This record gives sequence, C-alpha cells and structure tokens, in this order.
Amino acid sequence: MDYLALMEKPLVVLGCVYLSWKIIRNIWSFANIEKEPITVLVTGAAGQIGYALVPMIAKGAMLGPDQPVIIHMLDIEPAAEALNGVKMELIDAAFPLLKGIVATTDVVEACKDVDIAVMVGGFPRKEGMERKDVMAKNVSIYKVQASALEEHASPDCKVLVIANPANTNALILKEFAPSIPHKNITCLTRLDHNRALGQISEKLYVHVSDVKNVIIWGNHSSSQYPDVNHATVSTCNGQKSVRELVGDDKWLNTEFITTVQQRGAAIIKARKLSSALSAASSACDHIRDWVLGTPKGTWVSMGVYSDGSYGISPGLIYSFPVTCEKGEWSIVQGLKIDEFSREKMDSTAKELIEEKSLAYSCLN
Amino acid sequence: MSKEAIRVLVTGAAGQIGYALVPMVARGIMLGPDQPVILHMLDIPPAAEALNGVKMELVDAAFPILKGVVATTDVVEACTGVNVAVMVGGFPRKEGMERKDVMSKNVSIYKAQASALEKHAAPNCKVTTHQLHGFLLRFICLIGSNSYFAIRSQVVVVANPANTNALILKEYAPSIPEKNITCLTRLDHNRALGQISERLKLQVSDVKNVIIWGNHSSTQYPDVNHATVKTSSGEKPVRQLVADDTWLNSEFITTVQQRGAAIIKARKFSSALSAASSACDHIRNWVLGTPEGTWVSMGVYSDGSYNVPKGLIYSFPVTCKNGEWSIVQGLSIDEFSRKKLDLTAQELSEEKTLAYSCLS
Repeated sequence: MDYLALMEKPLVVLGCVYLSWKIIRNIWSFANIEKEPITVLVTGAAGQIGYALVPMIAKGAMLGPDQPVIIHMLDIEPAAEALNGVKMELIDAAFPLLKGIVATTDVVEACKDVDIAVMVGGFPRKEGMERKDVMAKNVSIYKVQASALEEHASPDCKVLVIANPANTNALILKEFAPSIPHKNITCLTRLDHNRALGQISEKLYVHVSDVKNVIIWGNHSSSQYPDVNHATVSTCNGQKSVRELVGDDKWLNTEFITTVQQRGAAIIKARKLSSALSAASSACDHIRDWVLGTPKGTWVSMGVYSDGSYGISPGLIYSFPVTCEKGEWSIVQGLKIDEFSREKMDSTAKELIEEKSLAYSCLN
Repeated sequence: MSKEAIRVLVTGAAGQIGYALVPMVARGIMLGPDQPVILHMLDIPPAAEALNGVKMELVDAAFPILKGVVATTDVVEACTGVNVAVMVGGFPRKEGMERKDVMSKNVSIYKAQASALEKHAAPNCKVTTHQLHGFLLRFICLIGSNSYFAIRSQVVVVANPANTNALILKEYAPSIPEKNITCLTRLDHNRALGQISERLKLQVSDVKNVIIWGNHSSTQYPDVNHATVKTSSGEKPVRQLVADDTWLNSEFITTVQQRGAAIIKARKFSSALSAASSACDHIRNWVLGTPEGTWVSMGVYSDGSYNVPKGLIYSFPVTCKNGEWSIVQGLSIDEFSRKKLDLTAQELSEEKTLAYSCLS
C-alpha cells in the first residue's frame, strides 16, 4: 500500500508530461500544414525559355522549396502538340511541389486565377521585318493578354514581361489593363544585372556571390546602362568598391558596358540559339526577390513603372535599382549620378520614349 | 562554414539534356541548396563553341553555389578531381544503322571514358549512365561524397544503351568499385508514379514504391505490386485503389515503356527536362539517402537478388543511406512479374554478349 502511495506522485507527473508532449506534437503537426499553392502562368511555354523555366518553377527555384505551385502554360495553336509534350514531361518528372498543370492555347483559361504571370511569348523579329512591324505585332498581342489578365487573374497578380521589346510590351500591358496596379507590372532586366555581376566577378577572379549592387538603368536593349558606381565586393576587409578594385575606369566605361549590352548576341553566336537557361534563371531570381524580399544591404535591377525618380520621365517602364519587402519593390533613392552616367541614363530613356510613340502609332 | 565544393562532371553537356541539367546542378537541386558545386562539362570538338555558350550562360546566371565551371573537349581535364559523373553523351542510333553498329560505337566510347575516369577522377567517383540521344559519350562524373570520409566516387550513365554502357564502364574501370557505377531508370520510375497519380487523380507525391525492373528499354517492367498511395486512412495498395488489373498489366506497362517515344512525337525532341530532373533525383537520393519507408529504382550491379543473373547492370528497387544503395530484399514476385523480370534480364544478357563481341 505504501509502495503504491509512493508511486502515485511520479505516475501523475509522468502522465501529465506525456499528455503535454502529445498536445505539443499535435499542435506542431497542425501548424505544419502545407501552404496554399500559388498559380504561375508562363506564356510562350512551348519555347526554349519556357522549357528551361517550368522545371525551375516546379522545383521551387522561383518561390521557395516549400511553396507548392500550379503551373499554367499558354502558347499558340501551332505549338499545341509541343506544349502538351512539355506537360507530359512535367508529369513524368514527378515534382512533389507541382500541384497542377494547365496546358492551353486559350488565353482565358490560361489567365484564370493566376497569381504570377511570366510573359515569355511574343513575336520574334524575322529577317526583312521592319522595327515597326515587330512592334505592331507585339503591341496587339500584349493588348489582348492585358485584357485577359485584368479580367481573369488574381487581383494582386504580379506580372513579369520577358518577350522583347520587354519594356514597351510591359507598358502596353499596363495601358490596357488599367485595373492591374501599375506597380505590379514589371519587365526583366535581372538577366543583364546578373550578367554584369558575372563580368565583374570574372574580371576580379572573385566569386559572383561576393559582388553586389550593380545597376542596370533603362531599356532591356543595347542602350541599357550597366552602372558599377555603387557596386561593391565582399572581401576579408569588408565591402570594397568595384571601381576601386578593378582599377581600370576605361574598361569599366567601355568594354564592360558593351560586353553586358551585347551579351545576348554573343550567346546566340556561340549556341546558335538565344539564352534560355540564364533568362529562365534570372526570371526566377526577379520573382523570388520581388515576392520574398531582397537581402539586407542588397538591391537588384527591375524594369518598373517610372515615378520620375532620377529625372527619368514618368510613364515609362524603366529599369531601376530596387529593394523588395513584403511583396513590393521600391526604387533605391539618393544614389549619386555622375555626368557620364547621366548621359547614358538619358539616352536609354530617350529610346524608350521613341518606342512608346512607335507603339502608340501602331495602335491607331 | 561553407562546405567543400563537389565536382560534378556532365558529359554531352552541350546537348539538350546537358542544357536542362546544368542549371539544376548549379541551383542545388542535385546535391542540396547549401552544397557548393564545380561543374565540369565535356563535349566533342564540333560542339566546342556551343559548349562555351553554355559556360557563358552559367556565368551570366550568377548562381551563388556554383564555384567554378570547366568547359572542355579534353576528357582528362574533364575527369580530373571529379566526384560525381553523369554520362549523358553517347552515340545516337541513326537511320540505317544496325544495332551492332550503335553498340560498337558506344562500347568504344565508354571503354575510353572508363580509363579516363579511373585514372583522373577523385577516388570516390560515382558514375551514372543515362541514355542520351545526342552527342558522343561524355563522362559525367559525379562524386557524391558529402563527408570527408567519402570513400567512393559515383557515376551515373544516362546515354543509351544505358545499362550496357554502364557495364562496359565497369569492366574497363576495375578500380572504381562496381557499386559506384549505376544507370538511370529513375525517369521510368517517375513516369510510372506520374501515370498512377493521373489515373487516381492524386498528387504524385502521395504515390510511392513502384519498381522499374531490368533494362532501360522497352523490355523494362514497371511493377506496382508493392506500390502504395497515401490516403486519409493510411497507405493503401495501388492495385487495390486502381481496381483494374487489366489496365495495370497491359496499358499502364506499355505507356511507361513507350513514354519516351510519346514525348518525341509531341515535342519532336526527346525528353530533356524530365531526364535531367530524374538524374538529379537519382543522385540526390543516392548521396543524401531515401526517405524512410520509400524506395526508388536504380540500375545497379546485380548480385543475384531475385534470381537475376549476376554481372548485369539491372534496375532494382533500392534504398539509400550514407551514400550507398542496397537492394530491397524479400519482395514477393508473382508469376506474371517473374516472366517480365526474366525477359528483360534475357535482353540484357544478349546486349552484354553483343557488346563483348564488338570489343573482340
């Protein structure tokens, strides 16, 4: 009897501990519910960039390794069979994060409930075509897609335009989807930004992840201005300015700039095809930083709706240095602009204004 | 403290599968998001410029964990210090070619690459061969040693005929432990999971433990007898839930066996995206282990398990732990399965004979 009485207290304590453990376990597993999937649209999905991009999205490279996704893929009728082939491969790869696939030639079905839209599809420039002709074709494509997105996508849909002329296609999209907040419409200059980081890292024989804060200003074209005036390198003695470490202003003001501006052509020359791998990877970086935020002390380049910052005319989609937090980007303010940079920034803005006029003339 | 970089070799890197594979490796999909990698890319001289284009793109993408890129047409340079090898390069079958001709070309390629790997790869080189319709064989050495005590390099052969290319590699690189030389059947395994998930209208991540037995060819046997589906009331057998043995024993099997051809018909190109993704899955599970209660399919050196002749590279169900695979034992094999297992083994024995005759 005494023995039992002695055991009573420890048993009660053990019982309570056990129950608490069970409760905590229960709450913990309850808290670990899988996230709601995010729907990502890729237009031109049967093409090269689409083929490189969709597995990256499905593997969590765009939105994180624990974020389930539903992929919507849109392409034109002639590419329907190839598009279905891509859908088949996505099934064959058994991606754990991929919760659904829609492969369609119907823009309404493609845009339905989309949270993120990556517009890769566009009309490429062919031999003998005038700039006006390419512009005319793309303007009509983006006008249609703007309406579909506006009507059927999620209210806070984030849009990334990749198809060239990226900045102007994005502008058309914005004009014809007035209820999409203009801060949600961007174009890709992260590829140029990453290319600039790559060139600096190669020049300095450092790792690319130690270089940061280059800026791509302006148009995603050969008038873009890759600016290293505020770029830094992580060294054992802290952050050092790129200009100082490179110690070759001539190279930085000429060859470096033209290499980055013309890198696309260099890739085409080597591969006989345009950059898909790096474009897809940069698109993932653009969206990921936009949605999940940029690291402290680091900015990235995005083509965004100009608000007049740095003396750039408002009403253009122009690439600026931005930081991102809570799903929103903001232009880094207060950076010094020297005369050399001023000229370059204005030159690319001028080209964008001309493109805008050309685009509008095509609409009439 | 950041980990020591692992050197991953991809042969045939200028081709389709290579182009899909290298960004996956550079993003940490193959070995984990915090495992730095150095990519070695090998291709033949005619593809040197395209290969350099791929290297340029890897630089342009500014991948944080990519610590170096070697793009070369020199097999020795490509193999030096490599830890993991993914052999995507091989000689594709062209119209008018006899089976013996294709075999003969690939056998000599893999014989040469075996020597290079043996001599120059890091001692722990894992090789995987995967069938690739593309360029000449490339040695992709992936060394999956994540610890300082790694003892074997790891090789995956992808280029077709994958199993036999892997066997040749093994024969001519005797100092690479035979358990480090594998071939890719994970693509077929994933395809089988995909077909079941589509049939049952479930998430593919809820289906597991299918098996691909045998040769990565149309004699492969996709077996669902031990496959299960996660439901709200626990794990249920696939056979029970599908409740259509006719479909499972005929159409399901042929769909998986012939999926490659179906992709080519739709895309006009062979599967690159899914092949590359499956190659990453193969290596990742091999190096980092399989989840508890789950097995995967790998083409591995047969030890006689399940009465499969020894001395073949045959796809078995395996679990992986501490960088090593082991065949799942004790699964019951019914009569229907037995026939299929033997048929694909027979084809592999014939391929082996053909390969050896080419070497004489």
